[in-house]
Amino acid sequence: MNTEPVPPTGRATPPGLLLATLVFWGWQSGWLWTGAAMGVLLEAARFIPLRWELTQADFQRIWNFCFLLALAMGIYVFSTNDPGGGAAGTLQASARKVSVSGLDTSMTLLRQLPVIWFLFVAAQFFSAGQAIPLAAISWIARRRQQQGTGMEPEKHINVAYPYFMLCLYSAGIHTNDGTHLYFYGLCGLLTWALWPLRARKAAIWVWCVLLATALTLGYYGVHGIGQLEQFANNYNSQLLARLLQPQTSAEVSRTSIGKIGRLKLSNRILIRLEPLNGSPVPTYLREASYRKYYSQIWQTAGKSDEFQTVVNDVGQENDWSLLPGSTNLATVQIANYLTGWSKESSSAQGLLPLPSGTARLTDLPAFELKKNPLGAVLAAGPGLVIYQAHFGNAATMDEAPDTNVDLLMASNEVSAVDQVIAEMQVASATDREKMLAIQRFFASKFTYTLNIKNEMKAYTNSTPLGNFLLHQRSGYCEYFATATVLLLRELHIPARYAVGYLVHERAGQRYVVRERDAHAWCLVWNSATKMWEDFDTTPAGMDNPAPSFTRPFQDAWSWVRFQFAKFWWSQGQFRKYALWLLIPVLGLSLYQILFRRKRKRPAPAAASAKSVPVDWPGLDSEFYRLETRLAARGVPRLPGESLTHWLERVLVDPALTDMRQPMRELLRLHYQHRFDPQGLSPADRERLTREVNACLAKLN
Amino acid sequence: MSTPSLEAARQTSRNIAANIAKIMRGQTAPTRQLLAAFAAGGHVLLEDFPGTGKTTLAKALAKSIDARFKRVQFTPDLLPSDILGVSIFNQREQEFKFHEGPVFTDILLADEINRASPRTQSALLEAMGEGQVSVEGDRRHLSEFFFVIATQNPVEFRGTYPLPEAQMDRFAMQFTLGYVPPEEEVAILTAQEHNHPIEELQTVATLADVQALRSAVEAVRISAELKRYVVDLVAATRTAPGVQLGASPRASLALMKTAQALALFDGLDFVTPEQIQALAVPVVAHRLVLEPQARFSGTTARGVVLDILKQLRVPA
Repeated sequence: MNTEPVPPTGRATPPGLLLATLVFWGWQSGWLWTGAAMGVLLEAARFIPLRWELTQADFQRIWNFCFLLALAMGIYVFSTNDPGGGAAGTLQASARKVSVSGLDTSMTLLRQLPVIWFLFVAAQFFSAGQAIPLAAISWIARRRQQQGTGMEPEKHINVAYPYFMLCLYSAGIHTNDGTHLYFYGLCGLLTWALWPLRARKAAIWVWCVLLATALTLGYYGVHGIGQLEQFANNYNSQLLARLLQPQTSAEVSRTSIGKIGRLKLSNRILIRLEPLNGSPVPTYLREASYRKYYSQIWQTAGKSDEFQTVVNDVGQENDWSLLPGSTNLATVQIANYLTGWSKESSSAQGLLPLPSGTARLTDLPAFELKKNPLGAVLAAGPGLVIYQAHFGNAATMDEAPDTNVDLLMASNEVSAVDQVIAEMQVASATDREKMLAIQRFFASKFTYTLNIKNEMKAYTNSTPLGNFLLHQRSGYCEYFATATVLLLRELHIPARYAVGYLVHERAGQRYVVRERDAHAWCLVWNSATKMWEDFDTTPAGMDNPAPSFTRPFQDAWSWVRFQFAKFWWSQGQFRKYALWLLIPVLGLSLYQILFRRKRKRPAPAAASAKSVPVDWPGLDSEFYRLETRLAARGVPRLPGESLTHWLERVLVDPALTDMRQPMRELLRLHYQHRFDPQGLSPADRERLTREVNACLAKLN
Repeated sequence: MSTPSLEAARQTSRNIAANIAKIMRGQTAPTRQLLAAFAAGGHVLLEDFPGTGKTTLAKALAKSIDARFKRVQFTPDLLPSDILGVSIFNQREQEFKFHEGPVFTDILLADEINRASPRTQSALLEAMGEGQVSVEGDRRHLSEFFFVIATQNPVEFRGTYPLPEAQMDRFAMQFTLGYVPPEEEVAILTAQEHNHPIEELQTVATLADVQALRSAVEAVRISAELKRYVVDLVAATRTAPGVQLGASPRASLALMKTAQALALFDGLDFVTPEQIQALAVPVVAHRLVLEPQARFSGTTARGVVLDILKQLRVPA
C-alpha cells in the first residue's frame, strides 16, 4: 500500500561542516587526530557511492549498541575515578580524587560523546536511506507503528544536525584556559551551520544583525553564568560547613546542658557491630574525650592534645597499630559512616567509635589515620568504613593524667559541687569508696529524663549544672557525666569527659547502635593500675520508648542504605564486576549488528519443516547459482523474501545497470520452470542454462 | 505461451481497470485487489474512513460492466425482507406475488453494513455464502455473477453491530483505500470541477466478458508447491502467538483463487509466490480473532500476517 517514505525531518549539514566541527572538538578535548579521522570518514560519504541497506531493526541495534557503549564507558570511568573501584590498580592515589570524581566521571563521559555516537551517525551517512527511521530510536514511534494500520507514512530523521550540536557541546567540556578560543570557534561553526537554514524572505543584513545579537547575548550570558557559579561555589562551602557542624568534634563538645525541653534523638542506625570469634561485646564505643569544662562546653587542652598521624603497619596497607605490644585481644567488626569532610585529603573523615583499650585496627581502608592523646582516632577515607578493632582490658591509648588539666575545676561550678560533696560526706574515704559514694548518690537521689522542665526561673543565680545538682536532680547522660567529672576532680581524682555510644541492642549475631544510643560518661584514672577506666554514673532507666510501629521500616530502610553505602564505597566486590557484566552484553549486541541475517528468528519449526520437501519440480534451476553469486555481493535473501523483491533490491546497485533487463527475464524463465505445472519447453530450458552461465561470466 | 482466451480475459480486466482508474485516482493497488476478488468470484469488504471513495469504487466497477447494480444503505431498522424481497397479495389476481429485493442483482453495494441489525446482516450473508435465498419456503437462485461490495466505517462504534467472525469469513477480501497523495487529491478536485466523471463512464465489458474472465482465472495454473505454501501460510495463523482463532480453509481457497486472478492480470499463465504474498494480508488478516491481551499490547491481525510472511520460507 502507501508506503512511500516521507522526506526526513531535519536536513543534511552543509559540506565540510561536520569535518570542521569534529576537528574543533578534537582540538578542544585533546583528541585532534581522532576527531579529524571521524570528520573525514563522515564527509567521505559524500564522495564514496558505497551504501549499505540498513533496516529499521539494524538502526535500532546500532542505537542500542551505542547506548550500551555509553553505559559501559560511564561505568569504566566511574570505577577508575572512584576509590576502591578495583579497575585501576592505584587505589590510594585515585581515592584522593573522591571529591572531584563525580564531576570527573560526567565530564569524561560528556567529552567522549561524539566518539560513542559516531557509529550511529556513520550508519546513517553510509545507509541507502540517508535518514534514520524515527521508530528505530523512539519507543513511542515504534509503538505507534505497531498499533497503526500501516497506512501512516514512516517518519525519518536526519541526525546530522543533532550530532553537530552534540560535538559542539562536548567540545565545550574542557578546563577553562582563560582564552575565548572555544567561544570564537563556536560562533564560527554556528554561523556556518545556520547559513543554509536562514529564512530567504528576509534580507541578509537582518539575518546578520540577529545572529550578531544572539552571539553577543550568548557571550554575556556565559560570562554571567560564570560569576553566578563562583557565587554559588562560595555559598556552597558555607552551607556545607554549617551542615557538618553537628558531627562529633575531637576538639570541642557542646553539651545540651541547660537547654529546656525534650532532647530528640532519632532511631537511625549509625553503627553496626559484630563480635568475632566469640569475643565479648564492648559496652561503650568511645569517640573522643575532653579535659576542660566551662559554660556547658567540654574541650581539649589545646596544642598539647593535637592529632598525630598513625603510620600503618609495614606491608599491611589497611592495618594500623594504636598500642603496640598488646596481647590477649578480643576482636569486633565495626561498620560506621564517616560523615565529616577533610579538606586536606579531599575525602570523608570522622572519629571512629572504638571500644576501650583498642590496640589495633585491621582492614580499615582509610587514607589517613590520626590519633590524639585523649584517645580519639580520626580517619579520613571512604564514606563508610568496615574494619576490625582488636581490644583488651589492659591499658588504653590515652595519655597519663596531667594534674594541671585533669583536675581542673570550672570556677563557677565549685560552690554547687562542694555542697554536694558535703551532702555525700565522703571526704575521708579512698578513691574507690569515693567513686562508689558518687554512684550511690546519683542512683538514689537522681532520676533519668530526656525532658528538662522549665524550673530554672526560681534559681536564676545558679548555673544549669548547679541547678541540676542541687534542685532539679534529673537529667540525662551529659548532666551526669559532667557532674561526675567535676565531683571526682574536686575529690582529687583525675577524670575526663568521654562521648560515644552505648552498645545494648542485639540484632541476631550483631549489634546495632542508633543515634539515640549516643552517650556521655567519664574516664577515671585508677592510680593503682595506672589505667583510665570507664565510669558511668547515669542511673538506669534511660527512657527507652516503646518501639513505634514504623521502626521495622526505618530499620529496613537503614539496611538498604547501608548496603548501598557498602556498594558505593566499594566495601563489597560488586561494582568492579558490573563492567565485566556489560562486556558480554556489548559483544552480543555487536554480534547482532554484524551477523543479523543469521540471527533472524527462524520460521516456526513445524511450518518450515513441512514446507521444505525436497522433490519439488524445478529445483535444478541454474538460477540458484546466480542467486548465490549475487548474495555474495552483500545482499542475501531473507527467508520470507520472494525472488522478485530480492532481485529488485540487488539491481539497485549501479554496477548492475546493464544487467537489469536480462536478469528479470531470467527470473521469469526460472519462475516458469519452478511454478508452472507445464514447465519450460526444452528450448527455453536450454536458454535458461545458457543465459545464467553468460550472466555469471559477466559478473566474474 | 498464452492461450487466446487468457489473452482476451486479460484485455477485459485491463479495460475495466483503466476505466476505474479514470475515476479512482491514485488507487491502483486497491483496484487490482477489487478486480482480483471480482474475477475470482469472492466478495469484498472495504473498511475505511468516510469520503475515501469506497462507494465510488463500487459504482465505477458496476458502471464499467454492463451489469445490474443495486445499492442498499444499511440502517438499524432495515429488515431482512428489505433486502431479500417480500410477497405482496395481488388483489386482482387473488394471489401472493413475490417482489424481488435488491439482492437479486449482479453487483450489490452494501453500504455501511455494520449499521444493520445482526438479523439483517445474516440474511445478506446467507445469500453471499450460498448464492441463493430462501423466502417463504421457496429457494430462489441469485445471479451467477452475484458480487457484494460491502463497506464499513472503522471510526464509528455507536449504533453499529460489528460483523461476527463467521460472517467476516464470507468476505474473500478486506482492504482499505487510504488517503491519496496531495497531487492526486488536487487532480480529483480538478476532475470534479463541473460534473462527476462517473456520469460519463462508459461500459467496457459485458456479462459474457466477465464470464470469460472468470473461466480464464480458473485456467491459470498453480503448482502443488505453491498450494502447499498457501496452506502453510494460512495454517501458521492458527498457531501464531496472540491469535485466538486462525484462518479457515476457506481462507486458503480464497487466497488461491484471488492469486490466480492476480497472476492473470500480471500477464502470467501460472501463479508465482509474489501474487500469494501480495494478497495474504487482504485475504487472511480480517479472518483472524486476536486474544484480547495481544490486542491491548498492540498486536494487529495485519501485523501477525506480515510476521508470518517474513518468517515462512517462501518457495523460490
